[in-house]
Formats: sequence, C-alpha cells, structure tokens
Amino acid sequence: MWRELRQREAGSIRPSLLAKHACYRRSRSLQLAKRKEIVSAHKSGVNSLQIDAAESRYLLAGASDGSIAIYDTQQATHFDPSSQIAKHEALSTIDRRTNEGHEYAVSSVHWYPIDTGLFVSGSFDRYVKIWDSNLLQVELQFKMPGKVYAVAMSAVASAHMLIATGTEDVRVHLCDMASGAFTHTLSGHRDGVWALQWSASSEWVLVTGGCEGAIRFWDIRRAGCFLVLDQHRTQIGQRSKSASFIHDQAGTSNGMNHMETNSERGSSFLRKRTAHHTSIRRPEAAKLSRQHPGLTVAQGVATAHYGSVTSLQTTYDGFYLFSAGLDSRVRLWDMESGCNTLINYGTTRIAGKKGLQLSFSPDGSLLFVPSDTIIQAYDVWTGNLHATLKGHYDLVNCCSFHPLDQELYSGSNDRQILVWAPPGGTSEDLDPQTQVQADEDNWSD
Amino acid sequence: MSSASSDSPTLHLAKRKLRDDIVLEEDNSKRPHRSGNNLQLEEWNVPADTMVALRLMCDQFPKLEKVTVQPFVLRSQLYSSIKDRTTVDQELEAFRKQGTIRVFKLNTGQDDFAIMLLDNYLFQLESAKKRMESKHGQDPTLVFDWFLTNVINTNTQVSITHSELVMLLSKGGPVADKHISLLINAGLLVRQLADETTYWFSIPNVGPILKSLTQGRKELLYFLSRRRYKEIFLSQFEKRGLRTSSLGVQFHIRDLLGSGKIHVVHNPIGLLIRLAG
Repeated sequence: MWRELRQREAGSIRPSLLAKHACYRRSRSLQLAKRKEIVSAHKSGVNSLQIDAAESRYLLAGASDGSIAIYDTQQATHFDPSSQIAKHEALSTIDRRTNEGHEYAVSSVHWYPIDTGLFVSGSFDRYVKIWDSNLLQVELQFKMPGKVYAVAMSAVASAHMLIATGTEDVRVHLCDMASGAFTHTLSGHRDGVWALQWSASSEWVLVTGGCEGAIRFWDIRRAGCFLVLDQHRTQIGQRSKSASFIHDQAGTSNGMNHMETNSERGSSFLRKRTAHHTSIRRPEAAKLSRQHPGLTVAQGVATAHYGSVTSLQTTYDGFYLFSAGLDSRVRLWDMESGCNTLINYGTTRIAGKKGLQLSFSPDGSLLFVPSDTIIQAYDVWTGNLHATLKGHYDLVNCCSFHPLDQELYSGSNDRQILVWAPPGGTSEDLDPQTQVQADEDNWSD
Repeated sequence: MSSASSDSPTLHLAKRKLRDDIVLEEDNSKRPHRSGNNLQLEEWNVPADTMVALRLMCDQFPKLEKVTVQPFVLRSQLYSSIKDRTTVDQELEAFRKQGTIRVFKLNTGQDDFAIMLLDNYLFQLESAKKRMESKHGQDPTLVFDWFLTNVINTNTQVSITHSELVMLLSKGGPVADKHISLLINAGLLVRQLADETTYWFSIPNVGPILKSLTQGRKELLYFLSRRRYKEIFLSQFEKRGLRTSSLGVQFHIRDLLGSGKIHVVHNPIGLLIRLAG
C-alpha cells in the first residue's frame, strides 16, 4: 500500500491504477464488519436491497412484513462506545400501518435512478407503488394482475421513465411514471416472471427471466422479443475482438444453430402439426412464410436454466449478464452474442419461491451469490470460489455491493441486514464518535 | 474398452504431469497405509485432464449383470476429480463439438448429464438395432442406419427438434411416423415434457441404471443424515454397501461429491465423507 503510494507520488504508476488496486484488494478481503451495524427495522425476512445510484449513500430495503426502510450507510445514527460499533438505524420506515402502505410482503424495491427523491416498490399485494422518499407518501400506484416479484428501472434511460414489472402473470408490464399508465405488455413467457433487468448499455433493451427457465431480450421499440438465450449455445469464456466463439460446425452448416432460423422452423412446425399426424411433410417442401422477426423468436422455446430463473444481473459495462436459476446454477452470458460463456460457478444452492438478488464488485472481478444461508464470492472469469461469507442464520435473499466503499450488504430471512466490509475500513480511520456528531450544527453563536 | 487400454501408457504420463491439479491424489499420497483397504489407492488417482478422467472413469464403470449398457460418466463425477469446473465444461463442450463424446440429459435431476464416448454409444446403437430387428424385421430398422449416418454425425446437441430430425432422416430415405416411433421405442429418443416438438437424445436401456442412481443417491444421503455427526468413514461405508443401487459406492460418492451434496474430509484414519451444509 505504502509502496504504491510512493510510486504514485513519483509518477511511476497512475493514480487510477492505485485506486483500482486498492479497490481490488479491499473487495477481496470482505468479512463481517466489526465497526458497523445496520439495525434492522424489519420484523420479517428482508427481500430486496438497493443502494442509490446517485450518491451511493442510502440503502433501501424491502421486507416480507410489508415494510420498507431507508438506511444511511455513511453516517451512523448513534455510536456504542462500549463495543465500538457504529449503529445505523433506519432514517424512515414505511410499514403496514402507514397510510397506503403495502399489505403483504414487499418483494422488490428500486430507487429512482436519477435522485433519491423517489423510489418504487413492488409487493405481493399486487401493487407497484411509487413513493416520495421525503414525505413517505404514495405518489402513484399501479394495480397489477398478480403478485409482483420484481420491479426495475433503467439506469441509463434518458427518453423514458418506464418501470418494468415481473409478476405472476406471464406478461411483463411496463408502467409509465410520467403518465401513470401501462405503456407496454410484453408477452412471450409461459410462466411468471421473477427476475428482470434493464440493459446497462441501451435504454431500450429489457431482459426478463421467467419461471419456465427462459431468458428473453426485448427491444421495447419493437414488437416481440428479439433473443431467447439457449444454454446449449456456447462460447468459451470472454469473447475476443475477432469474435472467436466456437461455431457449431454441424449446426452452422445447415443453419440449425442460428437461433432465428431454429425457431422459425419450430414455428412452421407448430402451424403444421396437424399435418404431421397423418403424414410427415418434408420441411424443405414446407415453404416458410415471412414473419416479423420478433414474432418468430417469440415462439422459440430455448431455455437458459432447467427451472425458474431467479435472478438476473448485468455488468456495469452492459457486456455480460449473470443469471441464476432454481437448477442451482449461475451462468454468465455474453449479451452481444447471446451465448453461454460456460463458466461454471461451482455448487450453489438456490432455493426459495421468489427471486434472488446477485451482486458483483464494480471492477467486475467478484460475483456474490446468495446460496442458502451463506453468500459465495466467485471469481467472475474463472468461476473459482474465492470466499464464503457466513453470518446469516436463515436463507439469504439479496445482497448489494456498495461500489465506492467496497462493502457488501446482505438481507436474509433471519430479518437482519448484515454489513460485510474489508478489515481495515475507511470508517475506522476517523473516530466514529466524531463522525456521528459531524452531522450536527456546530455554530458558535 | 480397447481404446482405453491402448492409451494406458499415455494415461500414466498424463497422470504424472498433471499431479498438481489433482484434488484427491495429493492427500492420498500422504497416507500410504490406505492402500490396504479394499478401495485401491489407484482408483482415486484421477488425472486432471477431462478426457483422461473420462476414460478412466469409464473403465471403472460398475459391472452390471442384468443391464447391458455401455459405460458412461456423469458430469458431476468429473467435477469430483477435477477442481476447475470451468475447464471441464469447456473441454466437454469442445469434445462434444468434435464428436468424440455424446452428452445426454438425464431426468434424474435438474442438472444431470451423462457423458458417453462416441464409440461406446455407437456400440449401444448397434445392439439396440439388433434387438429391434429381431422384433420388427429388416425393413423398418433401416431407420437406425439413417439415424447413425445423418443425425448422430451432424447433430451433437443434447436435443433435437422434430422438424430437424425429419429433415436429417429423410436424407436416407422416405421417413414415416413409424420410423420415429421405432427410434423412441428403442430408447434412442425421448420426448421432452416441456416442449412436445423436441426430443432428448437418450441411451437405450438406461432406465434401470437411472433408477439405481436416484435411489442410491437418496439412500446414501438419508443414511448420512441419520447419523449423529452426519459423517462416516469411507471404508466403513464400503463394507456396508448400498441396498437400493447396483452401481456401487464409488460411483455414487463421486457423483455426490461433484454435485456438492457431500464433502470428503481427509484425516489420519482414512477418508471421511460428510453431508454438506
């Protein structure tokens, strides 16, 4: 550390490299934080956590008892001098008693990506609500056709303010915050949708994962979905610039491996199924009628997981997508080619009847997967298990990585929100007592 | 297994070279007295290279009396001997695309795949053909030849859509529904439940083995969960054996190790297997 600082002073390494190395080291040495504690305001399992994108300061949590709370991750509310622990209590809480609060479990919470003035929550009581975080009142609400499992807003959107919602219903609804109405209904999944995520590179691309195991890509400007991920369509590791993913030699020769052709054949078959029962027609003879590309892919039946897709997470650069499924596998997808990168993240245990939240460090080297009562940290590019974070007493539902402090927050069915931090934390450098007082006025007159 | 025996000098070389990557071997070498047990030390020395491991495990495939199935290996068993799972996946994918192995989805679990060397599969295919010939005569069983030349050689995936199957088969001759029924009856294809238009490829006569597999897994896990410390010495367990499975203890332990349901703990007295989690 000191040598690197000296090197930076001498100009032999760049400041950005120093920062990168420090982040890398810190994110790889996570353990249960000794000096920081979040006092959970929830009386039931924590289902969803998110740190706001604007300041990376406020942590939003939604729990199974219908409560939502906001915590300040930077400034502790009080300090326990005997145990030297800075306690972070909820700044504000919404629960069932609050006017228009959620009646049943809150499955998903999401900050408004631009600032911390608003947040969105989705609940099993079928409502998606938009809250003013200062007044703690509902600004807008949408009644959905079934339990809401996931809500998502695009972090890069500049031309729309759409909330994508995954529900029990097979269709994905997009709610427009500006008009208070549903703008899109995306149909293609054959079962409920537990996980969805907007692309980090294009504001128009939405990725959804259904209970039938399919992951679909939608361009919301066009009808239908444009890509269905197939776990058997593979490339090896990171795609190099020369696009060196392995072509299925046999597959490409007759065009079978190409997804669009494949599903087009499938659809032509669907239409002519009745004919098959009497006599089998030659597919060469069956002239394919021209269809909208979105519609043909929509009938594709490829699966990304055997079992529900419980979680989706795109990397910050938007090139890759992590997905987790009830087949207890985590997969890494190349978003551009739509291929499975074949990186095997060991044995995870993914259970439960709702979505999970994966998380990864911003330098893109570690992936955190809630697996039963532990959190496993995997090396993204090799799939090796780097560390196991043990601390929760019950099923872990979600984890969220703080991009600036290199801290991990995790929520579990044991009602706790745990903080995982590198051993020599930033907050230890300052006296935590003064840190608490720093927020108060200090006028002399 | 003529291919494996001819390879055996290279096998030994590869084993030496790849010693560092071997999970089980390192600890085995520290405990020389283990070789006295009925599980031979040699059996656990599985090299890191996927193909070598695959061939070795094929050689160690349990000898079964009633069923005539060529040796196959579960993907989870490969994970049990090779630490780097990503490499296994990538190498398997490469072999699959080259056509040296066939991969089959099994219905015993959500993430179960069986891997069979192509030669063994072809042998199995041939015996299935003979069996069907004795029942249905020479004429309809021509479809097996079409299947072999047109489908197996071109499609290396785990599943095939109905239309693709018909298209590939029809290169051999006029295809009728009864031909496809014959393939299904012979156990070469299985209908997918989720999607009626697609078939899984399958190993003929594999049913009894799959039954053994699921029941043996269940028995082993149940047995461990009933023990006070959820653990048992491997040698002790081998003496006891499994009642519901004919596949042998080693087969199951490798499978469960790879799927992460049990751990192996090395201690001075021997290998201890312990329930995970």
